Amino acid sequence: MNHEANFEQTVLGVAGIVIEELKLEDVTPETFDPDLDMIDEVGVDSMDLATVALVLQDEYGVRIDEEDYPKLKTIRMIAEYILENSPVKT
Amino acid sequence: MKASGNPIQAPAGAARPAGEWKFSDILASDPRIRQKWEKVRKYFFLRESTYDMTRKCNIRCEGCYYYRGEKAGADGIEDPEHWRQLMEEEKQRGITYVVLAGAEPSLVPELLDVCYDRIPLGCIATNGLIPIDKKVDYRIHVSVWGNDATSQQVRNAKNMLSRQIQNYGDDPRAVFVYTFTRHNIGEVYEVMDQLAQNNCRATFNMFSAPAGYAGGLAHDAQSLEKTRQTMEEIGRQYPDHVIFSPYHRVVHTHRLGLHDLFSCPYPRANASTDIGLGRSFRQYRADLTWKRDTACCVPDTDCADCRHYAAGSAVVTARMFRHAACPETFAAWLDYVDVYLAVWVRGYEKSPDLCDRHTAPPAHHLF
Repeated sequence: MNHEANFEQTVLGVAGIVIEELKLEDVTPETFDPDLDMIDEVGVDSMDLATVALVLQDEYGVRIDEEDYPKLKTIRMIAEYILENSPVKT
Repeated sequence: MKASGNPIQAPAGAARPAGEWKFSDILASDPRIRQKWEKVRKYFFLRESTYDMTRKCNIRCEGCYYYRGEKAGADGIEDPEHWRQLMEEEKQRGITYVVLAGAEPSLVPELLDVCYDRIPLGCIATNGLIPIDKKVDYRIHVSVWGNDATSQQVRNAKNMLSRQIQNYGDDPRAVFVYTFTRHNIGEVYEVMDQLAQNNCRATFNMFSAPAGYAGGLAHDAQSLEKTRQTMEEIGRQYPDHVIFSPYHRVVHTHRLGLHDLFSCPYPRANASTDIGLGRSFRQYRADLTWKRDTACCVPDTDCADCRHYAAGSAVVTARMFRHAACPETFAAWLDYVDVYLAVWVRGYEKSPDLCDRHTAPPAHHLF
């Protein structure tokens, strides 16, 4: 799979996790704006983000540091973080 | 309340060291863990700030945090319209939970009405000598600092406990908060006996010295250990009246304060404004101003000595991520959060503890 396709797939996967864990309504992975600021525009707080981070670690095998939460503001930023820190490089 | 069924101790499938557990495996390791996780996570929407309501108090207590630092000089604003507007603005910026404190909130009942009308989840910290109207359905924390002789000495108030019980006995809003100092540890037995006889529930606080405090109430290594043992005994004696957990005992009587154990996320100790308390928390003074560099739940406390129950409710709770290392550590954290919610949120009831023994905080030794 090329990098672009892999990135798009990761964005959809992350969006799915965020939607499920935060129980967001009226949005699907496909319609979730990957550049939406989850803290300012969705109202996500530290406990929500910690929950998402734990599930992302399980799903993608990456280690997320608590100090890196500020880098996880949008779906796109999370996808980039995952691909950069993934033990399996594409 | 006793642990339900077999306590969660060594990680199931113990070949896996802590830190190598997937979160999903921790949740799947015991159905009680998942059940408690689902119970507590419903309250992740709580966003707190604290408010000094007035500079007035009807007593003067040794070591009172309110009369320390700049905030003590703030002129109180007691116009309900100002408070109504503040609460509206707080709601707009996402605050869902208010802690109404210093100096003595029961002296400004009209302001309590306004706050409750605008943000109906919260807690009032009171000395309990003046009853608060039942229509204000917040949690009410009644502070207890020992038996009546000690209260007379430290707080200059006569028959304090019996007056507090008269006002708040059998009141489902009330949680009595017994503050352990270096000198009142053994008094908790007679106090707890009186509280239990009057169907009052209690939790525990640790005296945490205000910055620059030179009095004799601050804890030392011996008093921390004695307090821990006493908390355990009292919990066993009054399981239906004490709201606490084994993990509370660990983190609130540890030789390290809460900040050193967990890195306090309140603005005063946390420069980051990215997310969480560092971003949203404010501590309003009685003049309705606030300063980021002094904002925390008990301002002017010496951070190195902070073992305060209110601090722990945020500091420990906020560190979910690092507790998700293995089933036992996560279960201890869940017990802690379960107690925090039972102590602070009206209508929330504590479940049986998952852990019945002391669990070391992440990356630290036990005690």
